[in-house]
Amino acid sequence: MQLGCTAQTSAYAFNMTVPDVRQPASVSGGSACPVPARQLTAAGSIALRWSTALGSNPATILTQAQTAAAQLAELQLVIATALSVWTGVSGTTLSPTALAPVSQTTTASACGTDGINSLCFNQADMAFTPGVLAFTRVVTADVIGEQLGGSAVSVQPGQILDADIYFNPGDPMITFATPPALPASPKSYDLESILTHELGHFFGFSHSAIWSAMMFPYARVPGTYASPRPSAQQPDAPLGDDDRTGLRVLYPDPSDTVHTGAIQGHVLPANPISLPVAPPGVTGIFGAQVVAVNAATGSIAAGTIGGWSCSLPGPTQFDGSFAIAKLAVGQSYLVYAEPLNGAVESTEIDNAISTLCRNTSTDAGWPPLLSCMVPPVDSGFTVRTWPGP
Amino acid sequence: MSYLQRRRFLWILFLIGLALIAAVANATTLVRLKFADLAAQATAIARVRSLHSTSYFKNREIWTRTEFLVEAQSKGQLPRVVNVEMPGGIVGHLHSRVDEVPAFAPGEEAYVFLWAAPGGEYRILGWSQGAFRIRSDAATGTRTVTQDSAVAPLFDPVSGQFRPGGVRNLPLAVFQLKLKKALEAAP
Repeated sequence: MQLGCTAQTSAYAFNMTVPDVRQPASVSGGSACPVPARQLTAAGSIALRWSTALGSNPATILTQAQTAAAQLAELQLVIATALSVWTGVSGTTLSPTALAPVSQTTTASACGTDGINSLCFNQADMAFTPGVLAFTRVVTADVIGEQLGGSAVSVQPGQILDADIYFNPGDPMITFATPPALPASPKSYDLESILTHELGHFFGFSHSAIWSAMMFPYARVPGTYASPRPSAQQPDAPLGDDDRTGLRVLYPDPSDTVHTGAIQGHVLPANPISLPVAPPGVTGIFGAQVVAVNAATGSIAAGTIGGWSCSLPGPTQFDGSFAIAKLAVGQSYLVYAEPLNGAVESTEIDNAISTLCRNTSTDAGWPPLLSCMVPPVDSGFTVRTWPGP
Repeated sequence: MSYLQRRRFLWILFLIGLALIAAVANATTLVRLKFADLAAQATAIARVRSLHSTSYFKNREIWTRTEFLVEAQSKGQLPRVVNVEMPGGIVGHLHSRVDEVPAFAPGEEAYVFLWAAPGGEYRILGWSQGAFRIRSDAATGTRTVTQDSAVAPLFDPVSGQFRPGGVRNLPLAVFQLKLKKALEAAP
């Protein structure tokens, strides 16, 4: 692994979209470099409504309050708190002012690909199967000027036009409890933690391979919660530093002078013959997780899935590049790379890596010069650092 | 990196691991289904090869239908070619994404645990939990099976040992035996 190179990679675990370069540059941007899915952050631009249609038989959402009005108020507080977890991160443009007031709807089936961000606790979506607890469906545009139902018109490729969060209402074995109700509901899932995780998808995240991250794909068993509860002093307390760093990369604040550090480099094989023969053009390890650890505290500052870079106008090059951006300056970091063969499998970040390329096989008429194919994730390597000790 | 620095680094990693080890449990979006649960709840189980996928709008949502060639059936009655419908996909300039939904490239081989939705369409049971990819080691030719949702090792307080969760890199023949036993034990 070489450090200190100049690759232009930003490969955190975001949901990526390659703009449709078959369209004129005025609407596609003219580049086949993948862009992350994200919301607009101008004041009041992120609207979210939640459906107050709640099931009563079985009751899937457990609250401490027992009257209807108080139950809704308790749920509204959970939603507001979970949102504030993400808007409480410093150094981003995802501030509380980016959110429009959360509204309520009595529509039972409020969630749908209609351009209106919705949160549904009682919508028996056809996608649910046994074993599915909750999910977020995110719709992005791959060109400028796209509109979906009541959404805003996209002003950039990758813009999220609709994001809906569904909680499973149809399985009598699955219930969710608000924080006040959780201690008395040991078989219920912590609603606040799960909603906070789903809101991470709502804002553009895929899953993280860092254990301490909110976006790690596994949460606590029923009746428990994994991380500190948010507080007025620290609304983003449940997040890991990996989440915070990712959010700063996704929604960078130009006035942030603290998190301006970056670590870049390559993960390269000692013997290039070990690289895959197909697809052609792979010159580095693809799919290595590269992690920066704060040397003073031992905490993980951020991790990223490395192995690619993209220079305008694209396409993506699989050259082993990695870049961990938006790190606090004035700190020392230890960096290590590891294969994705442990707690998280490469399939669990599929959205973040499978969408780095488009080609004539995936899209008829795609320009060959802007085509690429995502190679298989290399999960069988061992790591040596260069220069060595 | 000096010996002392390396030792300190390893200690840091060890302590981080200890601190975080308790975080293992169920998926945020998924309830963990044991292999036996998957075998028992699946409407059909088959070894399949992906042919192609199509995305479309249905009931205000974007879905993707993947056509699979059924190579061997372990449970249920499936036609020679089975269609599996899952949320997400690309229609026009709209990209709909749902994490933990398995996607299959043409030619990919897998064991899939299918669940018949009320409308009659097949879904992958438990999403990533019901997809078991068959891979070949390029060097040895060994065929192994890995579950999409293969989970972190779980700590067994009785034995004091970590045990693997999910199916990861299991030789194909061993997986087939495991499946056979699970089906025999299923109610």
